[in-house]
Amino acid sequence: MSEVKDWSTSADVTWCPGCGNFGVLNALKQALAAAGLEPWQVVVVGGIGQSGKMAQYVGANFLQGLHGRALPHAIGVKLANPELKVIAVGGDGDMYSEGGNHLLHAFRRNPDIVCLVHNNGVYGLTKGQAAPTSGLGFTTKNRPMGVLAPAFNPLAAGLAMGGSFIARGFAGDMKHLVRLIGEALNHRGFGFIDILQPCVTYNHVNTFAYYRERVYDLGLEAHDPSDADAARARALEWPAEGEVKQIPIGIFYSSRREAYESCGRPGQGVNVAKAGTVPQSTRSAVQSPFPLDVVKRALGEFE
Amino acid sequence: MNELDLIVAGQAGQGLQVISRTLARMLVRAGYHVFVSQDVMSRIRGGHNFARVRVSTAPVAADGDKAQILVALDPALVARHVPDLTDDAVVVTEATGDLPENLNVVRLPLAELAREHGKDPVMVNAVAVGASLALVGLDPAGLEEMFRSQFAGKGEDVVKRNVAAAEAGFRAVVEDQKRCCPHRLGRGDLSSENRGQSLGIAQSPAKGQSPFSDRVLVAGAEALALGAIAAGVRVVTGYPMSPATPIVEYCFRHAQEAGLIVEQTEDEVSAANLAVGAAFAGARSMVCTAGGGFCLMNEALSLAGMTETPLVLCVGMRPGPATGFATRTEQADLLFSIYAGHGEFPRAVLTPADAGQAFQAAQDAFAIAEKYQTPVIILFDQFMADALWTAERSSLKSLVHSPESKVASPDDLKPYSYRRYEATDSGVSPMLLPGTPEQLVYADSDEHNEEGHIAESAAIRLLMVNKRNAKLAGIRQELEAPEVEVEAEVEPETLVFCFGSSRGVVSEALARLRAKGFKAAMVHLRHVWPFPAEAVAGLVGKDNKVVTVEQNYSGQLAQLLSQECGVRATGTVRRYDGRQFTVAEVEAGLEELIR
Repeated sequence: MSEVKDWSTSADVTWCPGCGNFGVLNALKQALAAAGLEPWQVVVVGGIGQSGKMAQYVGANFLQGLHGRALPHAIGVKLANPELKVIAVGGDGDMYSEGGNHLLHAFRRNPDIVCLVHNNGVYGLTKGQAAPTSGLGFTTKNRPMGVLAPAFNPLAAGLAMGGSFIARGFAGDMKHLVRLIGEALNHRGFGFIDILQPCVTYNHVNTFAYYRERVYDLGLEAHDPSDADAARARALEWPAEGEVKQIPIGIFYSSRREAYESCGRPGQGVNVAKAGTVPQSTRSAVQSPFPLDVVKRALGEFE
Repeated sequence: MNELDLIVAGQAGQGLQVISRTLARMLVRAGYHVFVSQDVMSRIRGGHNFARVRVSTAPVAADGDKAQILVALDPALVARHVPDLTDDAVVVTEATGDLPENLNVVRLPLAELAREHGKDPVMVNAVAVGASLALVGLDPAGLEEMFRSQFAGKGEDVVKRNVAAAEAGFRAVVEDQKRCCPHRLGRGDLSSENRGQSLGIAQSPAKGQSPFSDRVLVAGAEALALGAIAAGVRVVTGYPMSPATPIVEYCFRHAQEAGLIVEQTEDEVSAANLAVGAAFAGARSMVCTAGGGFCLMNEALSLAGMTETPLVLCVGMRPGPATGFATRTEQADLLFSIYAGHGEFPRAVLTPADAGQAFQAAQDAFAIAEKYQTPVIILFDQFMADALWTAERSSLKSLVHSPESKVASPDDLKPYSYRRYEATDSGVSPMLLPGTPEQLVYADSDEHNEEGHIAESAAIRLLMVNKRNAKLAGIRQELEAPEVEVEAEVEPETLVFCFGSSRGVVSEALARLRAKGFKAAMVHLRHVWPFPAEAVAGLVGKDNKVVTVEQNYSGQLAQLLSQECGVRATGTVRRYDGRQFTVAEVEAGLEELIR
């Protein structure tokens, strides 16, 4: 059994002091320790952005890839070796803008991956441009008259795409977020959590105080997470336009559906990285079997 | 006779591939070398498609000059093929419809025979198969088993109706032609009572019964896919795009028995990145696309270079820019594939000429990708992928070899001490896969230290850039020197450079030129990057004339020769209208250049 300290690294954390990302990082470490996982059993796949850097700070295996591409990388890892616990992390720009298409199809496919989206409503790494989740009218240096298009609603989109686990957390409510990530880790399928994570440098609208005034826990309400219609209604409580009165956090929707890596496919969730010809640890590739019989049979088709 | 050429023409959707492939397989079983090329429009129904089937007693790797037989399912298509035919050609086509004059025509009620014997107008392709067999003088006895293997999933009734339709087509030609078809391969009598007794070599034995059963007829794309399976590929990804789609489709068909995961992703960006993820986790991974899709994959290519992830990319060349000609051929992505992706990282680019080389290219690609932990591109042209090539089965099997990987031994490591990017002289760091107990594996697209963590130190940057690019020297050692085809005991005056599927055409054109007294050798590159500069420089004497034959506008191979080894080509024979070179065209072009 691992402890929280086992998930720390020597990496130099380069976030701004007071950044909402710290809450997400600490919650993830606690949830991983509580889940009884060892660091070597976990792969964190990071996008590019302030949030994507988290891959380097968790203390598990990591693949820090490209802006927007964390999900294709994560699905690739999971398909190759379903024994690994795979967590994709990225920001709102990463997952909702550059990688939006991948996210839509990940909801459909339902790979057994946890997907954590740091949603701060602004671009941090590139210094303050609008994000797809910036509110209508949100002003930035290159949008001085304010953002012209209504914000993307990731939860409603996930529900529309048939996502099997749709949740929202808040970096300012650590206990709640640890529990939520724990539920996503336990969920066999695509565990999606949109995490409200204030940017203390570039977003002076969606602050910790802003969220503390508005968030409420769905878990304390009479909300049934198996009810998709109810989930949709809750997802739309944060309106695309007009005043935001209250913001639900918690599990909006959860259902059981076969995970993508084990859906009627050859090998059905077999670890092809191990079963394949690439060496796992000390096993030499030279000793690995080639499917010569397959090649021989296949050649017969061309006779 | 020792050679025969057929053209099978029809509309898209009329099953031309079934006709040409069935006929070609029958001929291979009968002991002939067969080469089939496809000329296909980018549409699903209608239009004008055709296949060229070249039959020879010697190996063939290019279309013939003129065809002796034209089978046209649609009489409206006959006129445009008249220039492709010999003066004594026989044309088989539908009974009704206007035709050019002065043709030796066999008019058959193809559609009626299909309805009557095949119980379905779509069986017109089976009628055409039977008619073609009669024209070339090949016994149709083996057809039933061949149809059964092709249509196994469609039920016995479909097989029987195909056979009946083909038999009807065969009989119709025999009755019309009696003993006068001038282009038969065998010399025998085709009348039914004598069938099988007097046809000489022109019989097509059942599967496994042929004395030539070592020979197979295989498309370049299929050979490439099969080569990858033989090399132990585990994850294959792609997004549909000609001419790479047949590779993915072949892998889909064999996924179950070969234990493959085959993914059609939401887009090319995902296809390439998913393959990078799978390769990071330890599965041999391959992504298949064409030039346009490869554009979208450049970032992932660069990522594989930076993270030192073994990745094989199959990139099919079709005429661009942009959508260009979807179903036609070109060789204009040579320089693109060598330079694609931002930043500097090592890669290999392989350019197979035919099915046999495609099979081997897949093996080589995985061997290099694994050993040097870097991306490898198999750059093929549409013509190579879609053509059907006669290959020796034993030569395909014997090529299978094991990639050697540099692997870290966790037993020699203290817990949590593995360094993914440990600096070595060769640039290759011992590999470990995520999931190894008490070790962590980091792959980072940021510049990173030996451990794999993001770093901004200038010294680390230099260490890592040098480490990554040091691998190119090793890769260079792995590649084969260019193939030189030269006349025995003749010192060549001219060296003709080519790559990819031009090999067959150039080889044949040069044979003709040598017969005219030209002293010329072919130099074919099936490994173009790292460019074999030393080998090429060693080949080119100071008195040699150098020319290239390539299917692009700007003479990209000539540019590489100049840039990489200071060899200046004095001329290039080029074609860029989307159609494959003909032998006669290359012969004429070279004659002009080297006269």
